[in-house]
Amino acid sequence: MSVLSAKVRLRRRAWFALWAAPLPIWFALFFMGPMLLLIAMSFWSVQNYRLTPDFSLSAWSYVLSLDFLWSTFWRSYGLSLISAALVSLLAFPASYAMAFLITPARRLTFLGLALAPFFTSYLVRIYSLQVFLGEGGVLPQLFHSVGLSGASLLNSYTALFLGHATLTLPVVLVLQTLALGNVDRTEMSAAVNLGARPQHVLRHIILPAARPGLSLGVLFAFLLSYAEFVSATYLGGGVFQTLPILLTDLIRGGQQWPRAAVVSLLMMAALMLTSLVTVAWAYRQKGN
Amino acid sequence: MTQPLLELHNLNKSYGTFEAVKDIDLTVDTGEFLAIMGPSGCGKTTTLRMMAGLEEPTRGDIRLEGQQINDLPVWQRETPLVWQNLALFPYMTVRENVEFGLRMKKVPGPERQQRCAEWLERLGIAGFADRNVAKLSGGQRQRVALARSLVLQPKVLLLDEPLSALDAHMSIRMQGELKRLQRELGITFVYVTHSHSEAFSLADRVVIMNAGRIEQLGTPQDIFLRPKSRFVAQFVGGISLFSGMLKTTREGKVGIDSADGLLQIADPASVQTGTKCDLAVRADRINVTTQPGWGTNEVPCTLMSEEFAGAVVNLHLETAAGTGIVAQLQQRDLERLSARAGQQVYASWHPEDGVLLGVTALKAAA
Repeated sequence: MSVLSAKVRLRRRAWFALWAAPLPIWFALFFMGPMLLLIAMSFWSVQNYRLTPDFSLSAWSYVLSLDFLWSTFWRSYGLSLISAALVSLLAFPASYAMAFLITPARRLTFLGLALAPFFTSYLVRIYSLQVFLGEGGVLPQLFHSVGLSGASLLNSYTALFLGHATLTLPVVLVLQTLALGNVDRTEMSAAVNLGARPQHVLRHIILPAARPGLSLGVLFAFLLSYAEFVSATYLGGGVFQTLPILLTDLIRGGQQWPRAAVVSLLMMAALMLTSLVTVAWAYRQKGN
Repeated sequence: MTQPLLELHNLNKSYGTFEAVKDIDLTVDTGEFLAIMGPSGCGKTTTLRMMAGLEEPTRGDIRLEGQQINDLPVWQRETPLVWQNLALFPYMTVRENVEFGLRMKKVPGPERQQRCAEWLERLGIAGFADRNVAKLSGGQRQRVALARSLVLQPKVLLLDEPLSALDAHMSIRMQGELKRLQRELGITFVYVTHSHSEAFSLADRVVIMNAGRIEQLGTPQDIFLRPKSRFVAQFVGGISLFSGMLKTTREGKVGIDSADGLLQIADPASVQTGTKCDLAVRADRINVTTQPGWGTNEVPCTLMSEEFAGAVVNLHLETAAGTGIVAQLQQRDLERLSARAGQQVYASWHPEDGVLLGVTALKAAA
């Protein structure tokens, strides 16, 4: 083994740095920059409907003292959490079947089908859901024909959830299938060989092994639902005031950019905290 | 003890048109250490997996203590397997791994803990009980795998190349421990391996499999001294093979009329003259000299290469007819021989050291 000369080592590093550079640059330009601006802006003030650089805590004190902000914050959080949990539960049996019960070729076909909705615009999908669920829509009519109430299904949590599921179900399905696909089959057989029934294998082998992927599925469903604006507006209607709606209202109603910035930062803090906790839990290890 | 512990009757396993295991009949006795050996793809692991219930036989019966267990769900069987890659549960501690089977069998808490502690102690891994299994050394992981299976107090333990993940030194040490454990516990081990040294040094009986069939079943000595077929002889290795018609000369000498001349044998009683036979001679029974005139069966050959193997050296020779001969010499004998590659030498052996292959089969056919 020869020791690399300093020059060669430097050249190698420069070469890797060149390839690695685009991401940090992108990150700085389109994430860190706006983020810093957002933080700065939360201290600015609005004078005569004009945004003025300043160091004022008025936006913070205003937003934090709003009761309806906090109730909206927790409603938003709770609704997205329920959506994420429901979507994950709904997706799991299908992911399980795809990972363990069907051939790899079929798995690919089904995953492709699951991703097909992404080929259409999300906005279009939500609008068509609106038509589907609204007054005189396909689903209310169907309910009516079997003797149930034929009222519009819009402006309900069900409608909001359907919107969330439209957005998140394919992502969750793919994440779960990949996670389950990576579970070691020998470990599963070993558990059965030691007396574990299928439900024990699921609980003691599959779930722990797939935990990172399954948790990421819940997390992504949560993140996407939390920041979701379109279905909250068009399907949930005014019934469910969520943070993204509040955010747009703040901006529309009189150039309140600093207040919107504060709400954004709060949202971001909540998401980051949730992500950190989830990831830490997902990758936790047992024993020392 | 007339009842065999484990019986395989006419066992078959096909995957589509591929027959992995063909008509296996085998009985394993209580307390026996049986090794199943063969090249990869010979069906040894499939046979073991069928014993464990992890593969369903296409045809045939598996009986444990006389009871047919074919249709018993895997989780209700008592045939734990030690896996080639160990298959420890990485999300559990050592203790949880060992307790797993007892937990699944619903053994009550205090008894479970006691049995687990006993096995952790017995295999010398009590000190690591609360460690993550991923952080153990190869030998320690091996012990966890053994404890995890043995804690169930099975009547038979199935082992699938359990030492293949260990380095040579550790593997030898574990071989000794396995043998000792098996003796102490008095339970049956069925041990699949491709390693001669493991099979021959550990097992009471060895099964040699080839292409889904049992080629030979016998004690290690049987197989080593009296291989039944060319395949077994070649698989065991260190054996030179000659083929030809059995012939009796006018002087009354009996031997194989091979491309390398008449090779005399000591006990031709069971074979008819004119039968085509294979003669096997073990490497350690062959003498190599630089001058002719040493013995009865003497074949001139060329020294092709030397293979240094510690205290002994394997010489690879080739006769004028192209037959390969392996001779095993002590290092000091090689020094005395002072022959170099390419040189003409003479290989010779006593007639009683030649073994006719497949003699019983031929006798039956005759």
